[in-house]
Amino acid sequence: MAKSDDGMRILQGLLVFGNVVIGMCGIALTAECIFFVTDPHGLYSLLEATENDDIYAAAWIGIFVGFALFALSILGIIGVLKSNRTLLLVYIILMLITYAFEMASCITAATQRDFLTPNLFLKQMLERYNKSDTDNNNDKWMTEGVTKTWDKLMLQNHCCGVRGPSDWQEYTSAFRIRHKDADYPWPHNCCVMDAQGSPVNLDGCKLGVPGYYNSNGCYDAISGPMNTQAWGVAWFGFAILCWTFCVLLGTMFYWSRIEY
Amino acid sequence: RGVSHPSTAHTSPWLLTADNVQYKPSLASLLGGLTTSSTFTLEQPRCVFTTLQDDVVIWLVVAVPEAIPNFNNSVGPGTPEREFQKFPTSALAYMTLNTTILNYPCPKTPGEITVLRVGSETSCAEDNTRPTCNGPLPGPGPYQVKFLALEGSNPVAETAWSDPIVLRTAQPLSSIPTTGSRYSASMIALTSILSILFAILLGVLVAVLVFWGSNACGGSSSFSKPEAVMVQRYNTHHVYDRTAARL
Repeated sequence: MAKSDDGMRILQGLLVFGNVVIGMCGIALTAECIFFVTDPHGLYSLLEATENDDIYAAAWIGIFVGFALFALSILGIIGVLKSNRTLLLVYIILMLITYAFEMASCITAATQRDFLTPNLFLKQMLERYNKSDTDNNNDKWMTEGVTKTWDKLMLQNHCCGVRGPSDWQEYTSAFRIRHKDADYPWPHNCCVMDAQGSPVNLDGCKLGVPGYYNSNGCYDAISGPMNTQAWGVAWFGFAILCWTFCVLLGTMFYWSRIEY
Repeated sequence: RGVSHPSTAHTSPWLLTADNVQYKPSLASLLGGLTTSSTFTLEQPRCVFTTLQDDVVIWLVVAVPEAIPNFNNSVGPGTPEREFQKFPTSALAYMTLNTTILNYPCPKTPGEITVLRVGSETSCAEDNTRPTCNGPLPGPGPYQVKFLALEGSNPVAETAWSDPIVLRTAQPLSSIPTTGSRYSASMIALTSILSILFAILLGVLVAVLVFWGSNACGGSSSFSKPEAVMVQRYNTHHVYDRTAARL
């Protein structure tokens, strides 16, 4: 009797510790997902225009799941310390529901990451950047978002196009419809700018003289933050779920051994 | 670099003599915008024309390859046969980028980029009053160019024809493949591991609930209901014994 009592006490301590960790990880997950949702790199318009912004949905779910994990961990600690069967049963069931939601968030983030390829952004850029005639309000909104985002990207990261300025030469585009090839082989934002925001040497930029135009592509500047977001949500969530799995197993075992 | 050698007198009356300079116009190098879909960039003919006087005008002739065999040097620039706006339909060649030898000083300053961008003037492309416009080329080519020096209206020197220059053609953007998003190994691993863990949790929960709900022989856990029944039985047995003992 004493031995199993000791064993139960150890299990109690472990479960309390496990729930404390879950609570802290829940807060961390909420904070991380809030950070992603605020879109510090300003890339949301690009995702919105692909009409597949599930990575952001995954981050939103992460915010609420993190908070739920924190609340449930407190419930769990109280239930374990009081050895209350009802509380622990409620805890287990609610945790399983939260587990399911977090699982959905992780899988969504990981799957959507595979969807975002260079060709996807290339096609979107060529279709929407500087498009002059838009069909409806939604189209206009997305076009403006894409144009603004690309302008900002090219200025701040000193890059041009997805793979390089030759993107504008190799394919037809909405930009090409609006601007003649001889005047604008590529957008003026691809030129090296001076402090006032105008090209240092426009002719040099049009010719493609190294030093007067940005010859590298912007794909790294796009995929870097998106990868961070996808992996941050997916793999941190995965780690939390593995830990939660162990704690839940222990809780169920503890629950079955509580004396009524 | 050009060495002018004495020209032979032609018998044909319409071909005036012009010094043939041993120089072939070539595309510039190390530029990102070397050829676009309507422009191309040539090296300037520096140190090519060595015996020209300052008032001689050097023109760039742009022609389609069909015009080269019967090309007539004395057709003046700006005439209907050499009008940019009619190129390449009724005029098989046009002349543009006229300048004097003073703009091509020799020797070249080292490190200086000396190029000529053919096709950069978009403002006069449709302007019939500017037949010598350096307008954007109408198609991907091929085109061949040469430099021709005219004194007044007489050709005095010319370079060789360049190799055919082909411009870029833009592919339609609908040809970009966006499908084929393969699922990465890490995503498959993550999904399968999480699904298995979730299934295990559900299974253990169901098993624990079923175990608690049944009266099966259990471990050390003591259940309330079976205990009460046992106590009752014991009491009954004891009373029965007592009555039996009294009798």
